[in-house]
Amino acid sequence: MSTVGAVDRAGRVAVVPARFGPEIVGGAEIVLRHIAQGLQGRGWDVEVLTTAATDYFSWTNDQPVGCRVEDGLTVRRFEAVKSTPGTERSDLGHRMLAGDRLTLTEQERWINDDVRVPGLYHHLLLHAERYRALVFGPYLFWPSYACSQVAPERSLLWTCLHDEPAAYQEIYRPLLSGVAGLFLQTEPEHDLAHRLFPQLAPHAVVGCGVEVPSGYDPEAFRARYGITRPYVLYAGRREGAKGWDELLQHFRTAVLGRGLDLALVTMGAGEVRPPQGLEDRVVDVGFLPDDERDDAYAGALAYVQPSRYEAFSRTIMESWLAGRPVVGIGEGGVVRHHVETSRGGLLYDDAPEFAESLAVLLGHPRIADEMGRRGREYVLSRYQWDTVLDGIERSIVDWTPPPTGAAGGAPPVADRVGAARTGGGA
Amino acid sequence: MRILVISPYPPQRDGIANYAAQAVADLMRQGHDVVVVSPQPSAAHLHIDFMAGPRAWAALARRARGFDKIVIQWHPAFFYRSSSVVDRSSIDLAMAGVFRLVPEVEVWVHEYEYAEVLRSPSRRRAARAAFSRATLVFHSERERDAFLEAVPVDIGRTRVEQHGRSFRRRTAMSREEARASLGIAPDEFVFLCIGFIQRHKGFDRAVRAFAALDAPRARLDVVGSTRLDEPEFLAHLAELELLTDQTQGARLHTGYVSDELFDRWILASDTVVLPYREIWSSGVLERAALFDRRVIATRVGGLEQQAGGRDVVFVDDDAALLAEMAAAAQVSLRLGDVGTDITDDIGWADLQATVSARAALVRGSAARALRAVEGPGRAQGATPVDRTAGMVRRLPPYVVPPATSTRPGAPVVKRLVQRLTGWLILPLASRVDQLQAATANSLDVVAAEIQRLREETPAASGGRSTPSAGGPGATTPG
Repeated sequence: MSTVGAVDRAGRVAVVPARFGPEIVGGAEIVLRHIAQGLQGRGWDVEVLTTAATDYFSWTNDQPVGCRVEDGLTVRRFEAVKSTPGTERSDLGHRMLAGDRLTLTEQERWINDDVRVPGLYHHLLLHAERYRALVFGPYLFWPSYACSQVAPERSLLWTCLHDEPAAYQEIYRPLLSGVAGLFLQTEPEHDLAHRLFPQLAPHAVVGCGVEVPSGYDPEAFRARYGITRPYVLYAGRREGAKGWDELLQHFRTAVLGRGLDLALVTMGAGEVRPPQGLEDRVVDVGFLPDDERDDAYAGALAYVQPSRYEAFSRTIMESWLAGRPVVGIGEGGVVRHHVETSRGGLLYDDAPEFAESLAVLLGHPRIADEMGRRGREYVLSRYQWDTVLDGIERSIVDWTPPPTGAAGGAPPVADRVGAARTGGGA
Repeated sequence: MRILVISPYPPQRDGIANYAAQAVADLMRQGHDVVVVSPQPSAAHLHIDFMAGPRAWAALARRARGFDKIVIQWHPAFFYRSSSVVDRSSIDLAMAGVFRLVPEVEVWVHEYEYAEVLRSPSRRRAARAAFSRATLVFHSERERDAFLEAVPVDIGRTRVEQHGRSFRRRTAMSREEARASLGIAPDEFVFLCIGFIQRHKGFDRAVRAFAALDAPRARLDVVGSTRLDEPEFLAHLAELELLTDQTQGARLHTGYVSDELFDRWILASDTVVLPYREIWSSGVLERAALFDRRVIATRVGGLEQQAGGRDVVFVDDDAALLAEMAAAAQVSLRLGDVGTDITDDIGWADLQATVSARAALVRGSAARALRAVEGPGRAQGATPVDRTAGMVRRLPPYVVPPATSTRPGAPVVKRLVQRLTGWLILPLASRVDQLQAATANSLDVVAAEIQRLREETPAASGGRSTPSAGGPGATTPG
């Protein structure tokens, strides 16, 4: 039950994801979209500030720049600019992953050799004071890094902090220590934040909400995609940082080494690249509508989570809501925390453990079902949007003062900056 | 009006970048249509690599057509890639070509290489060709006078503007919150040196002066980072690290400083110290004024004019700096005084003693001598390992040898070799400096561990092992 009254909800809140749209599968983007909708539903004046790009890899501006209403929300889109080749970012990123210490200058070059949003920066430079709060996220992206510093006193961060090399870079210290407030999703993320940033900004562990589907039809999913053998499911970006390549190798061990009769079904973006000999075992279903996605979870033997760098891991929650267990990587605090607390799955540290976990679930359906049941209870008791939005509202009221006088007026729709004249380098 | 602004720009950590963003916001609020070009990728609309020399200005020329005005935030480091007179002159001339393409050009001069231009008639002509077409804006009349002496352009095309006219506060914290967030106790008196760490900023002078204060409840925080990771910058940083390590109450905070964190430090401080050896204007001075912080500054460049009637105490030397810091914190000096006031009738002995005392402060030996006497166990426990770290730190940095020779043609060949091999040699030189710092830091860790063990086992401090109750590893007195 919210303790925030209508009077407290004065002023406009901007939610600032790097990408926005119903088709986007990134965890933080989905969450920020729900927050925007949830806050508007509770009576807040909400505006979404984002890029005109929806593809994480190309950052092509495939949406119109400017302001319009999308799904009932006012959305102001700015041109995403990717005018550098990204080779320096790649080189520096590899050094970062190898544990090399980057100088501050190198860290700056790393963050700026990627997509940037000058229009958004200038919009805030001119109009930040017209918003009561600006909710950025996740910490890693350029808009959060650069634009939250325009008006740090009204910038809030949906942190999504992972124990990853980037989090140890000095350039992020001001972001995590100097904004008006941080929203954290789990206790492991909270512990990590304190460990990395001793002078942490005001913060609250608010959790994260997950929608409960009204029902599931796993057989319909199997029939639609012609899947006959048992399968494990992976949803998300297929890239090294998410553990996709490692998952493929582990899956190869499970199927070819351990002899498990399993398929790997995957949904999301990125190249699949199945290992040789497993081409027919790896099924890419691309992006799915919500109901098909839920059916895919329900039909799986288990959901596999190979990503070490999770701040919350909503896909785990979606699997548990569907009553299916999780086989998650043990290295990385958040996945371990969820699995150990709920006892809704198994943890692995290497390929043999991965294969053995799947073998146990395949050979003992009742154990798998019981783990799925425990997982569902865990999600229902902790991660519902009403509770999460209560915490977010309370924090906004605590961390940002309500607007006074005319300061809360909306910025003009057709402002001068943000027009499509940003371009790049020479 | 369509205005093209050329400047470093956020999120690059740079005072001028921050200055430019606030000036751009002002122009936009006035209704101008503004496009920003920065030397590196940033929040600017475009970026052009000015280290490409005249080619970069050719690229800018293609972009500049159609604009009513160009505004440049000028600092030589942003636009010149070498100190060669020929190279800089060619860039000046390329710049002059661009300036012809737009009706109005405004150059905000933050720094200029007055002496270099005065020495070279050809450079002077090139600079004049460029700047005579622009309106020049300075932050003090002294800067303007120095510029006009070096580059004789029409004074009617110049003006002096208040440095901080577009500045806004970047932190909403209260002073108490700011101090708590930075780990500063309520009763501590805080001196602050903040900004890029480079020799001409003179932060080392403040540390040496602070070392001579008898102020157990005072602290000096030096906050900033090096602008570039080049040997001379890193060597100065290493020197400052050594100095702050040796000085009780002095702390060096190296790392990224955002605009918000910058302002938070200023708000949290009691006195901002600007012990610059040379500078023409100071953004820190303006930000200190935003928060009504007291400032002690050296009387250099145009600072005094920039300060106007604000709460700034100007000093001319290190002795005066020390005296003003003592007065600000209301404390006495550890060495009594820096000598007698020098008057016409001062005796020779007093004069000699005063000279020696003041020189000691400048040299830093006072600080080191104090540590030797006062350090709780540190000085008496100083080990060869302590000294080794110091020795490693004091190794001079690798500097590219000048391309000079008495043999005809040899300098040209040397410069060519340097240019061809620079991409390979300079990273190696940088790595040598990093290894030097890493070695010194490692030795410091070892020294600290030795000290800790000594303090745990006092009997061992005389150099003898402590007998234990026996068992493996037990030793006997030597």
